[in-house]
Amino acid sequence: MPSPHPVLKAALLRLGSALLVMWLAASATFVALHALPGRIQDILAGDLELPGLKEAISAEWGLDRSLPEQYLDFIVRIAHGDFGSSYVMRQPVSKIIGSQVLPTVTLALLAGALATLIALTLATLTAGRPGPARRLAATLELGSASVPVFWLGILLLMAFSFRLPWFPVSGDEGWRALVLPTLTLALPTAGILTQVLREAMEKALEQPFVTTVRARGLGELALRLRHVLRHALLPAVTLGGWLVGSLLGGAVITEKVFGRPGLGTVTLNAVLSQDVPVVLAVVLLAAFVYVLVSTALDLLYLAIDPRLQTP
Amino acid sequence: MNSTPDASVPATAGPGATRMSVAPSLRTLAGWPWGAVLAAVFIAVLAGITAFPQSLSGDDPLSGDITQSLVPPGAEHWFGTDRLGRDVFTRVIYGARYSLLIGLAAMAISVSAGVLLGVASGLGGRWRDEGITRLFDVLSAFPAVLLALLVVTFLGPGLFNIALAIGIAGIPKFGRVVRSQTLLVRRADYVTHAVIYGRSRLDTLLRHLLPNVLVAVPVIATINVGSAIIAVSGLSFLGLGPQPPTPEWGVMLAEGRDILRVAWWAGVFPGLAITTSVLAFSVLGQHLQRRFEGRL
Amino acid sequence: MTHHRSTLSSLTALPALSLLALLTAPGSAWSNEAGVPGGQITWGVTTEPACFNPHRSSQQNAFLVIRNYIDSLVGKRSDGAFVPWLAKSWSVSSNGKEYTFQLRDDVRFHDGERFNAEAVKANFDFIRNPKSSAAAASFLEYYLRTEVLGPYTAKVVLSQPDSAFLESVSSVKLGFLSPKTLASEADLCSGGPGLVGTGPFIFEQYQRGQSVSFRKNPAYQWAPAFAQHTGPAYLDRVTYRFLPEYAVRTGALSSGQVDLIEGVQPTDISAFKDVAGFKLLTGPSSQTSFTLNINYRRGVATDIRVRRALRDGFDLDALVKSIYLGTVPRAWSNIGPDNSGYNPRLAGTWGHRVAEANKLLDEAGWTGRDPQGFRTKDGKRLSIEVGYPQPYVRDNRDLLIQGIQAALRKNIGLDLNLRIVSNGEWTKSLTEASWSIYPNTLNPADAALELRDVLGDTGFLYNKTVPDAGKVDTELTGLINEARLQSDLKKRQALLDKIQQIAVDRAYIVPLFAPHYVVAAKRQVEGISFEAQLDSPSNSHDLWLRK
Repeated sequence: MPSPHPVLKAALLRLGSALLVMWLAASATFVALHALPGRIQDILAGDLELPGLKEAISAEWGLDRSLPEQYLDFIVRIAHGDFGSSYVMRQPVSKIIGSQVLPTVTLALLAGALATLIALTLATLTAGRPGPARRLAATLELGSASVPVFWLGILLLMAFSFRLPWFPVSGDEGWRALVLPTLTLALPTAGILTQVLREAMEKALEQPFVTTVRARGLGELALRLRHVLRHALLPAVTLGGWLVGSLLGGAVITEKVFGRPGLGTVTLNAVLSQDVPVVLAVVLLAAFVYVLVSTALDLLYLAIDPRLQTP
Repeated sequence: MNSTPDASVPATAGPGATRMSVAPSLRTLAGWPWGAVLAAVFIAVLAGITAFPQSLSGDDPLSGDITQSLVPPGAEHWFGTDRLGRDVFTRVIYGARYSLLIGLAAMAISVSAGVLLGVASGLGGRWRDEGITRLFDVLSAFPAVLLALLVVTFLGPGLFNIALAIGIAGIPKFGRVVRSQTLLVRRADYVTHAVIYGRSRLDTLLRHLLPNVLVAVPVIATINVGSAIIAVSGLSFLGLGPQPPTPEWGVMLAEGRDILRVAWWAGVFPGLAITTSVLAFSVLGQHLQRRFEGRL
Repeated sequence: MTHHRSTLSSLTALPALSLLALLTAPGSAWSNEAGVPGGQITWGVTTEPACFNPHRSSQQNAFLVIRNYIDSLVGKRSDGAFVPWLAKSWSVSSNGKEYTFQLRDDVRFHDGERFNAEAVKANFDFIRNPKSSAAAASFLEYYLRTEVLGPYTAKVVLSQPDSAFLESVSSVKLGFLSPKTLASEADLCSGGPGLVGTGPFIFEQYQRGQSVSFRKNPAYQWAPAFAQHTGPAYLDRVTYRFLPEYAVRTGALSSGQVDLIEGVQPTDISAFKDVAGFKLLTGPSSQTSFTLNINYRRGVATDIRVRRALRDGFDLDALVKSIYLGTVPRAWSNIGPDNSGYNPRLAGTWGHRVAEANKLLDEAGWTGRDPQGFRTKDGKRLSIEVGYPQPYVRDNRDLLIQGIQAALRKNIGLDLNLRIVSNGEWTKSLTEASWSIYPNTLNPADAALELRDVLGDTGFLYNKTVPDAGKVDTELTGLINEARLQSDLKKRQALLDKIQQIAVDRAYIVPLFAPHYVVAAKRQVEGISFEAQLDSPSNSHDLWLRK
């Protein structure tokens, strides 16, 4: 009788661990903020010199209270999605982030999807087949993983915006404006993904069941897609969290290269104007997204891992 | 941003982590594939021009002839000139030191902290191990670029702060590998024997444990220098690194971006320098990894 | 017929003549065509306004956005004459201390309230109130009160005659917000429909980091006399998109994503000049030139020999010509060459004397050299920092300073350390009097005011809260105060000339170049012009789209 308990137990453990990491991440930022030299009011004010500003900050963050109280307050507020106010932009941070998150998420999702598609295609086609195709693919992957995102963007701009005016140089109007940024963000990630996937596939191809399936007369492509891929995806699935982090980081740079509005631009401006609340919020959110994604994927892994299926 | 997943995933920057993977057939030179040889030579050259940039170019990277601005590549200026008439080739050469040294500095931070924490975790009791592993989890939850942005917000821009940020972001990569190696080695026979023979803990640690644990580190380090270089130049491109007129490659790309329409060379050569450097480290690192795996 | 006397106008203001002059005004892009109403236009601009409140903004590049919803009492025409706007006419008392304005009676704020003498009083009182921290308060330095003589008659009473008053009153910074807005105590800097003015456009929406949009004010009938047409704007809506990077702006126009852009860098001019489908317009020279202001009260800059060496240690002509491709002239004074207050005799009197500069530095004791080639004295390197606030960087000016940096290093071994700093850092260094060199052009204002802003005793050079910030050049500040009070035009100009000459001679300032605005647009965009007092492209009131 298949017992769900080991899987359920593993799942709960994983969830608990995720929550722990998120709490630790938030605490780490709290510690970092208070460990810096100087008063918190001064740090949060960045370099603004407005009358009454420091007092307002003190009031909002409860800086006159004891440290444990502040910490508790901090954690509770973060749990509610309240990251305080940006003093530079005179707006609640959540409002700033909310208004800018969509273009970035769109770009990241599209790029992620494209990268995955490329990786799947290339890996399926070239796994375990020594020869020029595989060598070429391997070289291309190595190349694309070595190319800095911002340089790739510049090159694509030169080729497809300046020389051949197919795509706009900047902005976010229309689908055309998404093409180059998506390519830029996707290609370096695709390189690494393909390598991992191909390797996992090759490993899976050496499994005994493959011989069995081949003996039954199943075509190579069908074999790969229907059976091997599933096995190969498992180790790749654990990369999901890394993928998200890499895309988010890359989005910041891509937005700068292509002059796209979005969270990356907001964060960069916040860094340059020492707007701590905004940067803190964005970084924490990115960490949370990473944890959520990798936890979800790990849970998925638990669910679909054939080794955990009992006969 | 290009970042490599940490070593909890078998393959880092390339194939070859499994013994049974198909090795691409390449001609070899004294047992080394020619790709790796080229990479090693390139890195040697890179080290050379970091230390002695004057050997390849006699010009001044910080000033040029203002009347010679935006000259296309040619006999006199191999990579052309920028808006202030400075020779781009010279600036690329002098720029090598920033990317290389800061990449290495970041790596050093990651390695030292990662090894320390990894060994402590592997040797420690349950709680210490759990705690440090969670620390690794937390650190890897922050994307490197964003972590660097946070550090720069607190500490201000500059090369050292960038190196610090990238270094911190890279700790889990080393920490996890060292930890698993430590866990393995800790139970190895020769360690048990050393303890039975009454060797001091420190002695055991230094003489037996560390050398075996650290064997994987140079390989991972080589592979990851590449991503450190990309990270450094990326952050400089964003304006968080050295200020102009420093000839750092990322800074040069940021400057070149404004004039791409009329001067393609300003946007091509610095980027080419970054890519080839990263490529060289990746290829060399991959090769070392294959050898290292083969030895296991 | 009412008469208006402007003490700074270069025209004799006889009523009939001025009416004639208005009709044939030179310098504005007068078009004989009637504009076609309807349509929308999108601008690509360099700078996102840090503050949308005209009273508090000092950001030159924000004015062209703010002008869309803000009107002023009088307008300044491109030839320097002051013409009616919200005030139909005005007169000055014989002692120069009372200005009586006859206002139009048909002006309304966007919320429907009347614009009247009470509104003028409310605005001026508000600005003058120290609690409002309004940058524009410096224009109302001698302001005592506004007397409401009638619903549409306002008398402004000053404590002293102010030769700059009309110019100040024509500025967007003394433009009018509805008294309700002022009383609401909302944070007006963040823009939004709550920012109610009288202008040809109504504030519609502001998306931080992206764009701001305005819709037509259909009731608008009170355009300034220098405008190309009276009556409401032609366009139904205008949007200003913030595109801080040169290549992005240029690309946005080339690909048609925006209809016109300001801030075309010289290397991109060829993308639009004489190119089918586009047009390029160049504005007049800026009222002030881009200048390095040296804090002579601090550090190595206290030594006049060091300052003069810096001033003369590089070839400014070659740099400006090369970077700006010959499109702008180098500067000889911090007052712009087209400004009526400019001292033309300064041309050719300084700069590019490297040998002498080296001699001065040798004399001053900077005879050592460090390994990088910089001069040293007692082991310390000859280094001066230029702190350039990020929000004001545009127009390749940082590149110019880099060029100077390289030249000074090579020629005289001086380390000009350029740092792009955040706005807050700059403000802090200002309050602590710790800045060394500040590069800028000034907001447009009367020439005496501009000089005082830098070199006068209330200027940013003299921070009163830091008591021992160094010696003050009282001869210079004395002259500036005198100029400020002088109503006789010729005597005043003589003073202004002397001030500029001293400032340059003692190397308190190193003028660099006289910038201008360059606007590139799609061919169908008509009615583009430049507003004299704004010192930038005009607002979108006169713009229309040719079909």
